[in-house]
Amino acid sequence: MLQIEKLNKSYGNRPVLRDLTLHIQPGQIYGLLGQNGAGKTTTINILCNLLNADSGHITLNGEPVSDSTKPLIGVAPQENLLYKSLSCEENLNFFAQIYGLDRKQRYHQVEQCLKAVNLTDRANSPVETLSGGMQRRLNIAVALVHQPKLVILDEPTTGLDIEARYEIWDLIQQLQSQGITILLTTHFLDEAERLCQRIGILKNGSIVAEGSLEELQKLIPAQEIIVIKTEQEAEVIARAEKYNFIPRRYGSDLAFWLPEPLELKEIILRFDGISIDSIARYPVRLEHIYVEVTK
Amino acid sequence: MPDNHNGNKLKMKYWYETLAVAQRILIELGRRRRSLVLWSIFPVSILIINALILKERANLTTAKAFESAAPASLVGAALFFSCLGGSVATVVAEREQHTLKRLFISPLSGTSYFLGIFLAHSCIGIGQVLLVYAIAACFGAQFQGSVLLGSAIILLSIISYVGVGFILGTQFARRTEDVNSLVAAFGVPLLILGGAFLPTALFPKSLLELAKYNPIYHMNESLIQVWANGKNFDDISEHFWFLFIFSIAMIAGGWLSYRRMLRVERRL
Repeated sequence: MLQIEKLNKSYGNRPVLRDLTLHIQPGQIYGLLGQNGAGKTTTINILCNLLNADSGHITLNGEPVSDSTKPLIGVAPQENLLYKSLSCEENLNFFAQIYGLDRKQRYHQVEQCLKAVNLTDRANSPVETLSGGMQRRLNIAVALVHQPKLVILDEPTTGLDIEARYEIWDLIQQLQSQGITILLTTHFLDEAERLCQRIGILKNGSIVAEGSLEELQKLIPAQEIIVIKTEQEAEVIARAEKYNFIPRRYGSDLAFWLPEPLELKEIILRFDGISIDSIARYPVRLEHIYVEVTK
Repeated sequence: MPDNHNGNKLKMKYWYETLAVAQRILIELGRRRRSLVLWSIFPVSILIINALILKERANLTTAKAFESAAPASLVGAALFFSCLGGSVATVVAEREQHTLKRLFISPLSGTSYFLGIFLAHSCIGIGQVLLVYAIAACFGAQFQGSVLLGSAIILLSIISYVGVGFILGTQFARRTEDVNSLVAAFGVPLLILGGAFLPTALFPKSLLELAKYNPIYHMNESLIQVWANGKNFDDISEHFWFLFIFSIAMIAGGWLSYRRMLRVERRL
């Protein structure tokens, strides 16, 4: 569906993308992760033909990206870019018109999109009267109204409460079940874990890790992670190293990668004689991999 | 044949896009009913005040006073604020709400966007023309000259105002607060110098020489001559051609400004 090959882009002397390569298969949700300034937005801008790359090429559905591929892409930007005094229906209708849908297609698509984002009963409400979650859903609906092949969701749940996030997640999964290919950028790693079949981690303009969650988990030699709270950190670290537990700091937490799964009593036994306040066990999560590959 | 077919398809694309942009602006305006009422009150009050002054000070009949006051009230007060101020406000609102970015992502062409804004403000302008004309007619005023020529002057005035509005909106105004100061700084002196609030007959010679470089002066003078004095094209050709060239220049300027804004704002 989307092939990005050796994409390079600099702003002045500052390189933003360096040989960025990524491939997204049809019907896939691809999570593009990275810190602010990693190059996510620049990638999206080039995809939307708003910026020209310095070198490399992108094909979408076999076609090189140009103005003529714009109708193949639907973008839901981070902010809700909607006309606030217009109703949900009027917003969708306007964008459907811009994308060249005729009256009959517009009527059908507007109705379908409102239904898809569960806003049918608010069709005639002005956008300014909707809650943040509803506006975000409409923002996504606008990206869908012209039936694009690829939908780009740029941080779709930023700034939403947990209920609204669940609604957006359901919507994204529903879109995927309809065969829509999705490129998702997010800062919420749990969101990427939950939704994406493939994840690319971007650092300084190039992909530093890519794969399914299972494939990414193999990048660090840990079967499980434990977090230990103790006054005797130096002793704990020394003891852990004896058992090949690899120490890591996650914020103020002192954590260890366990090379193989152990029963809790076995873990406690390893630290026998050291005063420990608590031990918590966690599976290897995307956040651990992310921290490792981006540090 | 395929070229012809593609050409027609392209024309239809521009037409649909233009219509969509215009429709959207008009719906938004319709939602702000209070603004709509104020847009109507403004030219009407200027027309009545101008006509009363002319009737009293120039010893004119009520009908003649309204005939003379209507063109200046229309091109000076009504169209200036609705078409110029309105198009600045439209562009600035799009920039402030960041909806322009969404339009850049879409296949909407810059030409359609410009034409859409032009069409929407032309509709508002035509509404104001009808309103001013209807009120003037109620007081016995008649359109003395060629309606076609008068309509052409009004159309060129709208094009010029929308073009200038586009340039100001894309190049100089970033926030809604900028709109008022811009319109006041550029507009009010030009309006006075164009004879919108004060007949140019009262101007000293030096000011009159300066006014000849002011497009509003040419809009105003040509429309007064056609509307109130029944003059024909030959009598106003100097004003007309100035206005024609100015409107073409403003379309070109508006287009270039839009392209420049596109380059600056093409980031999500």
